[in-house]
Amino acid sequence: MASVAGGSAAETPPAAPRDPGHTPRVPLQRAVFERVISLREGSIIVVTIVTAIYFSANTSSFFTGANFETLLPYFAPFAILAAGEVFVMILGEIDLSIGAMYLFAPILFHKLYADVGLGLVPGVIVTLLLVTLVGALNGFFVAVVGINSFVATLAMLFTFEGLALIISHGTPVATPGAQVPLDTFGKVFGGGIYSELIWAVAIVVILQVVLTFTRWGLYTVAIGSNKLGAAEAGVKVKAVMIRNYMLCALTAGLVGIFEAVRSATVQPDPAGANEILFLAVAAGVIGGTLLTGGSGTIVGALIGALFLGILKDGLILQGVNANYLLFYTGLAVIVAMTANVYVSRARRGHSGSG
Amino acid sequence: MPETDQPQDAVAHLDGADAAVIDRPGFDRRAFLRRTALTGVGVGSVSTLLAACGSSASSSGSGGSDSVFGSHPSYKFVFVNHVTTNPFFTPTQYGAADASNLLGCSYQWTGSESSNVNQMVNAISSAVTAKADGIAVALIDLHAFNAPVEAAIKAGIPVVAYNADAPGNARLSYIGQDLKKAGEKMGERIVSDVGSGDVALFIATPGSANLQPRIEGAEKAVKASGKPITLHTVATGAAVPGELSTIDAYWVGHKSTKGMYAVDGGSTESLAKVMQKYSLGGKVKAGGFDLTEQTQNLVKAGDLEFTIDQQPYLQGFLPVLQLFMYKVSGTLSGIYEADTGLKFLDKESITPYVNSKSRYEGTSTAAKVVSA
Repeated sequence: MASVAGGSAAETPPAAPRDPGHTPRVPLQRAVFERVISLREGSIIVVTIVTAIYFSANTSSFFTGANFETLLPYFAPFAILAAGEVFVMILGEIDLSIGAMYLFAPILFHKLYADVGLGLVPGVIVTLLLVTLVGALNGFFVAVVGINSFVATLAMLFTFEGLALIISHGTPVATPGAQVPLDTFGKVFGGGIYSELIWAVAIVVILQVVLTFTRWGLYTVAIGSNKLGAAEAGVKVKAVMIRNYMLCALTAGLVGIFEAVRSATVQPDPAGANEILFLAVAAGVIGGTLLTGGSGTIVGALIGALFLGILKDGLILQGVNANYLLFYTGLAVIVAMTANVYVSRARRGHSGSG
Repeated sequence: MPETDQPQDAVAHLDGADAAVIDRPGFDRRAFLRRTALTGVGVGSVSTLLAACGSSASSSGSGGSDSVFGSHPSYKFVFVNHVTTNPFFTPTQYGAADASNLLGCSYQWTGSESSNVNQMVNAISSAVTAKADGIAVALIDLHAFNAPVEAAIKAGIPVVAYNADAPGNARLSYIGQDLKKAGEKMGERIVSDVGSGDVALFIATPGSANLQPRIEGAEKAVKASGKPITLHTVATGAAVPGELSTIDAYWVGHKSTKGMYAVDGGSTESLAKVMQKYSLGGKVKAGGFDLTEQTQNLVKAGDLEFTIDQQPYLQGFLPVLQLFMYKVSGTLSGIYEADTGLKFLDKESITPYVNSKSRYEGTSTAAKVVSA
């Protein structure tokens, strides 16, 4: 899982030959600690663990098997959303339309199932295909037309949230295939307790591998680092950008369907979707992906989502009221990110000395 | 408890006893009890409480309470709400806080800020994990809460619904307005006021279980009357600025409309502002629900003919009371369907609301007796 993008590829090799020389003198725990924080995701891992320890110490119900299950939906959907978003963020762009894809996909799915008469699985497949096409449209506007990605995807966010309201007539409906007791479809697509976790882990692993070891990943980082240079080196910049936007829309549509199956209802209210969007972007940034592009990590996004999930679940378990929840969440993110910056500096100092 | 159904009796009883100290700053229990009694709502249950507290001289701190109900732990109840930061529910939170103080319990206010049903389901799961002593949830969706509520009840945690209800849900009781009846009453009012022609019904989020039944009720009443009234349901969205422009645009585009009515607090306030902007008071029939400060003022000014109060304070107070009674009675008592009412307020009857600032309307944090 080591390091990911451009810069860090250079960091890790020097660290390796240095380690044996240090082992006799440095105590084991310290060596492990230094090894962990030398990872790109290291600092957020430390911060997340500290947060979990804090809640375990202060809330008797936090470190329990029951809470493990409770915690899953607090982070798994965001990990999937953030995984797709990171691919766009590494390009140095952003995709705000994931909020609309999250909202639009289950409505489309219901429409295809109830009005067009597709089956459950074909309905999901067609929905995801259409949503991915919308992602291609995002990519087209950003990469080919050249609209600033913030504005282009904001416009798409409005457009498709509006469209979601129009085709649903603003009315919530029961999610197809989510009736209790859940059948296999419901269990696989978000309804099962571990469904979203399994999807999240699988998607994160696959996308991390794509990012680290494939040409696609390499090109993505190259474009984010230096778009012109990448183009001159023969990278098909527009194609890669469009592909990443398609991936991002696909993950968002998938999460929309999972969450609709999990709650058994398809909600057309955009307010909830907009909140989801910001949490997903936040998970990516907290996990160590730069908004300016050129560097990012999918595993980090998973851990960023986990951090936000632990924070929210822990605060609710502690009995924090809604008005204070935002306040404490804000403070906690500032404190955690401050710690993150210092840990990262230690990491850079560490690998810099090698 | 004795059948002292007169709140005054209970207050007298209380005055004779040593007032218990509730160790929370700024809480005057005696004043609280008196004003609670004087509201004259839920008389039976409230007077029971008064008697209970009057004879108790113990403090109700965090480590449990030794009251007339016997020694009981400091129960913790969780309210799961769909719009946690919406001002409509400010009095609801005061109601929950006051009942918790009164009974030596605590409450938590959580859920979603943006009607996100998944976040609400997560909050229910967290409450179950945290081993809450009871859950009150606004059942704004017909499907989403069935499984989580059943899971909570299976885990031994009583669940009541407040503000919005979903048929078929396993919740023990519903505390709030009978939404369909409220819609029917509004429909009857539309029939008698308008008589014939086009009527617009504004709704923030169609289909949501806390609003849609009002539309259905109004449609039912209009249909039953047989009058030539055509209802047009118009979705306005959940944010007040958007609601205002939607209703404004609707009026500009449909000037033959004979009546305009709203079924939620935000749309009602916006409708009242549009009525004021175009000076439609008296020309177009209009009315709505709930009591934001703006709505109160504009009903008083005659721009809106009526608004309907559903007592949000009680929607916080009664769930705590019911869950508490259910716990201390070992499930024998406490649970009942509580209709928090359907009170038409017009230009005259809204006066005491306009002239007062209170926890019942969420317009004041201070616990005090409101003079009418």
